[in-house]
Amino acid sequence: MGQIEWAMWANEQALASGLILITGGIVATAGRFTQWYFGAYSIVAGVFVCLLEYPRGKRKKGSTMERWGQKYMTSVVKLFGPLTRNYYVRAVLHLLLSVPAGFLLATILGTACLAIASGIYLLAAVRGEQWTPIEPKPRERPQIGGTIKQPPTNPPPRPPAEARKKPSEEEAAAAGGPPGGPQANPIPVTDEVV
Amino acid sequence: MLSAVTGLGSIESTVAKNLPVVSIHQLGLCLSRASASVLNLNCSLILLPMCRILLAYLRGSQKVPSRRTRRLLDKSRTFHITCGVTICIFSGVHVAAHLVNALNFSVNYSEDFVELNAARYRNEDPRKLLFTTVPGLTGVCMVVVLFLMITASTYAIRVSNYDIFWYTHNLFFVFYMLLMLHVSGGLLKYQTNLDTHPPGCINLNRTSSQNISLPEYFSEHFHEPFPEEFSKPEEFTQNTFVKICMEEPRFQANFPQTWLWISGPLCLYCAERLYRYIRSNKPVTIISVISHPSDVMEIRMVKENFKARPGQYIILHCPSVSALENHPFTLTMCPTETKATFGVHLKIVGDWTERFRDILLPPSSQDSEILPFIQSRNYPKLYIDGPFGSPFEESLNYEVSLCVAGGIGVTPFASILNTLLDDWKPYKLRRLYFIWVCRDIQSFHWFADLLCMLHNKFWQENRPDYVNIRLYLSQTDGIQKIIGEKYHALNSRLFIGRPRWKLLFDEIAKYNRGKTVGVFCCGPNSLSKTLHKLSNQNNSYGTRFEYNKESFS
Repeated sequence: MGQIEWAMWANEQALASGLILITGGIVATAGRFTQWYFGAYSIVAGVFVCLLEYPRGKRKKGSTMERWGQKYMTSVVKLFGPLTRNYYVRAVLHLLLSVPAGFLLATILGTACLAIASGIYLLAAVRGEQWTPIEPKPRERPQIGGTIKQPPTNPPPRPPAEARKKPSEEEAAAAGGPPGGPQANPIPVTDEVV
Repeated sequence: MLSAVTGLGSIESTVAKNLPVVSIHQLGLCLSRASASVLNLNCSLILLPMCRILLAYLRGSQKVPSRRTRRLLDKSRTFHITCGVTICIFSGVHVAAHLVNALNFSVNYSEDFVELNAARYRNEDPRKLLFTTVPGLTGVCMVVVLFLMITASTYAIRVSNYDIFWYTHNLFFVFYMLLMLHVSGGLLKYQTNLDTHPPGCINLNRTSSQNISLPEYFSEHFHEPFPEEFSKPEEFTQNTFVKICMEEPRFQANFPQTWLWISGPLCLYCAERLYRYIRSNKPVTIISVISHPSDVMEIRMVKENFKARPGQYIILHCPSVSALENHPFTLTMCPTETKATFGVHLKIVGDWTERFRDILLPPSSQDSEILPFIQSRNYPKLYIDGPFGSPFEESLNYEVSLCVAGGIGVTPFASILNTLLDDWKPYKLRRLYFIWVCRDIQSFHWFADLLCMLHNKFWQENRPDYVNIRLYLSQTDGIQKIIGEKYHALNSRLFIGRPRWKLLFDEIAKYNRGKTVGVFCCGPNSLSKTLHKLSNQNNSYGTRFEYNKESFS
């Protein structure tokens, strides 16, 4: 039990609550019930919560599944720095956002769900979790010719690498190939490779 | 798909019953009734795939002879998830419809039929209606419970934090209790004296302004609050036959149909849980614990009256490691008539398995390893639950089977191989293609002895083509190319690199023309998808490949 990351669950809950708020808000404004402006507020709040919660944070251990297309929102959410990183801020924000929707019957469900999500975020914050963006791994471009170090200085036949190593590395190298230092050429050789 | 069809069927029937005349007032009630019927059906069906002992019994019993029916049992988890999603959607519809109803009940409070109203006075605040009546309050609590359960059941949560999913999903019991209370509120009433006060009859004592205006009526089980428009006298005279009311209508609450729907499966599920609890209360006796390379540990144990078929899995529960968690592991050796020992192989991946290993094999002696510990130690108490069925049991019922294992996914097939080692004649299987892909060459040591013994046995019995073993090492550092000096049979069947599935499938199809080959895969999802796709393709030899899918989390 000690390894549960509550933030991920709170994130799913907040996303679901955002959708519930949007739906309730649409019902309230379309039906033009009394106090329908609460419904309009609920739609706006729902959209905001959905956008904020769409990018999933990175797990501490293991790999995290990204939501489709989340990298665009990740860059926006990352901009706010500590405001979005800290879960205390998110808990308080969700609690405040959920209160006005509670006055209207159609959106009261969204209030309850968002309040629960806010509670779980508080739990996550108390346990020291933080939102870290999922960065795309930089693609390693294979350097053309990067592994080709210096071309060999000796013509073939060449002794194996161990015999060509410097004397300080000879203890570390396996005892393969003829003992002794590198081959000494009677005539100096230069390579004419361009 | 079945549940979608049944769901739609029930919604159509209830909506058709409820909708001869649809006005705005009635739409809310109709929708809520229709969605309630669908919810009844789904809440009762959703429990059935979770009765795993029952499913294991059905799978093994002679009463289910057809392979097609057994393959349906493989889909039980998918069925459960589909029912869950349907419940979620229709709960949304139900809640929305009832919110509209609550508003209508309060706005259109009817003085004529006081008993019918849910509201107690005109323009009662609908929120009060929601929270102070029994159906309203239980409904709100149920939605909250459903919200918690659904948000914790998404694929991402199940894969990363299975505990959250498991603990919240156990709230289903609270959900069902609330559901029973929800329908006992008696909101829906039917009229008991239809003969003396038929719908549409005229009350001679009343003023004309309160008369009924709708010309058609349906003989339905509920009455709705009347709209307040005036009736046009011409419309009335056009009616065919108008009766006169003898007496005031009397109403009585409907019997809650939901109780009938859900009591059956709920009792079945509770009975099964009780049976499992009683059966698993006796701890097993651990005989030996063996440590294998690549972080795998084997445990051999015995238990009285424990019978299992090859391919089944059990759930281990060790209170010294964790009081609440239990984990499923496939049996790698099943008890036979001669030998009562059974065993599991566990791969050490998470915190539970790590702690389990530290308790059974103290860290100081973990380095030396393929020897069993003969000294009698104080092993912790271990409880097992099961065995439960899985699609791999079916591999013995095909004439030709292709079993593909990825890494530790070899465990279900190990029990099949152990069974074949014991006695292969009673089963329908006549040829087994066994393909095992691993990343690390040391992993093959887990079952190298078993494979060699099996190979030798079939060689002695002059059936060398019964089992075709192919081992693949998908990643190699080029240094170690053989499994071990004594495993000649395996070394010559070891290939470096990933298998080329299309060629393998073509080869199997060519050598088994016209037959049905069962394909079983236990490994990563990508492997499973590739094999599924290849199994569904046609080939020119007339061989049919039937893919049997196991669904893990």
